[in-house]
Amino acid sequence: MTNEYTTVGRPSSINPKITADSVSVYYGDKQAIQDVSLDIGANEVIAFIGPSGCGKSTFLRTINRMNDTIDICSVKGKMSLDGVNIYDPNVDPVELRARVGMVFQKPNPFPKSIYDNVAYGARIHGLADNRIELDEMVEKSLRSAGLWEEVKDRLHSPGIGLSGGQQQRLCIARTIAVNPEVILMDEPCSALDPIATAKIEELIAELSSNYTIVVVTHSMQQAARISNRTAYFHLGKLIEVDDTNTVFTSPGHKLTEDYITGRFG
Amino acid sequence: MKLDGHISQRFNQDLEDIRTQLLEMGGLVSSQITQAMEALETGDSALGESVEALDKEVNRLEVETDDLCTKILVKRQPAASDLRMVLAVSRIVRDLERMGDEATKIAQMGIRLAEEGASPIGYAECRSIAAGVQAMIANALDGFARYDSNVARDTIEMDQKVDEDYASALRSLMTYMMEDPRSIKRVMNIMWTLRSLERIGDHTTNICEQVIYLVDGVDERHSFS
Ligand SMILES: Nc1ncnc2c1ncn2[C@@H]1O[C@H](COP(=O)(O)OP(=O)(O)O)[C@@H](O)[C@H]1O
Ligand SMILES: [Mg+2]
Repeated sequence: MTNEYTTVGRPSSINPKITADSVSVYYGDKQAIQDVSLDIGANEVIAFIGPSGCGKSTFLRTINRMNDTIDICSVKGKMSLDGVNIYDPNVDPVELRARVGMVFQKPNPFPKSIYDNVAYGARIHGLADNRIELDEMVEKSLRSAGLWEEVKDRLHSPGIGLSGGQQQRLCIARTIAVNPEVILMDEPCSALDPIATAKIEELIAELSSNYTIVVVTHSMQQAARISNRTAYFHLGKLIEVDDTNTVFTSPGHKLTEDYITGRFG
Repeated sequence: MKLDGHISQRFNQDLEDIRTQLLEMGGLVSSQITQAMEALETGDSALGESVEALDKEVNRLEVETDDLCTKILVKRQPAASDLRMVLAVSRIVRDLERMGDEATKIAQMGIRLAEEGASPIGYAECRSIAAGVQAMIANALDGFARYDSNVARDTIEMDQKVDEDYASALRSLMTYMMEDPRSIKRVMNIMWTLRSLERIGDHTTNICEQVIYLVDGVDERHSFS
């Protein structure tokens, strides 16, 4: 993969929270992401779409250095958060991941109570001084995640006893409990039924006023519903990124068009 | 622009169907206008009936095509050029249906004029404007069939000539009525016919705007006038 290319559309943002500058990612000597440059605006919801294996998750994980946990994975280029390169040796990845939280495909609550799931991050980051503050923080996070009314009477029962959709909202509550600025979501609804999916989508819309949100989704309709901009990846390249409306009505690149219209590539 | 190549063969076929039905409707509307003009010239009431029969067919095709568009939206959630095709077809068939209604009015007016006794005042103007809108329709359908937005843009320009001819025909008919007040009722009927033709030109302009949207992905409604 050495052929150069230019991303079609509008990869820049007037008020960037995150800036990827020629980011490439390798697993051993296999290149999974090639030269991706992209701004993600503050309080923007951006969706990543593309065929399976095109590198959406890989690129998403570069935004909070989740790839550090994979031995053979190496990242080239620059990824900035508020103008600071997060791959700079001075940056502490644990602190970074508090600022840039992540929600995964399969809800993964800890084998603890609902309360402790949410309080966990705040405890290790020392965000609450006493029980009252912690209680308040847990309630606030559960409310923001749209889960409070459903669980307020059973805060001390296990998180894994909740339904799939509730578990996913619990994971979102756990993520926002540590006051992140950015939330990354990797196919957050793919294990959920349509109603639980609708609730998460609703929640994404609400959260977008306070957070910058990046969502990987295999559902084009979901991308169209929830995002301001949509980015189309193909074989490790960022082919096109533009206003979601533009991408779904008049995409600029034939590969995007073929993908979203369900044509053979 | 292309309709085929979907992983779903059925989807390819559905898109081809709405496209074919639109072109069929366009052909019918064009014959309606030709026959309506003939009815005007000859007063032949059989032609009038034929125009109305065609109108039923046009109405049926509008409903059928729009219904198929709705089904495609529901079943396929089309995007990009597919979405534009479905939206454009759904809008164009509405204009075609209205054009059919105007043609039917012209035919009815023609029969009435013949029953009231001949005096072919204003017929030449009608004939020339009808030729103008027929050319527009042929071009608009051609632009749609070949996904050619330049043809659509040129066709929109043609509507200006139709509008000018319409205005000047109205002026001369007004003069005529002032000179001969007994002719007012008859000339009014001719004016309604001219008005229908001018409306057909406007609907054809709408069709062209949809062809531009379909091909270029830009909405140019209300930007020409
Ligand atoms: N941990 C890993 N080790 C080696 N290769 C990987 C690893 N994770 C992903 N890949 C490869 O990187 C490419 C992109 O994968 P991924 O980012 O998961 O794609 P997507 O999320 O778009 O489906 C694929 O070819 C995949 O096989
Ligand atoms: Mg993935």
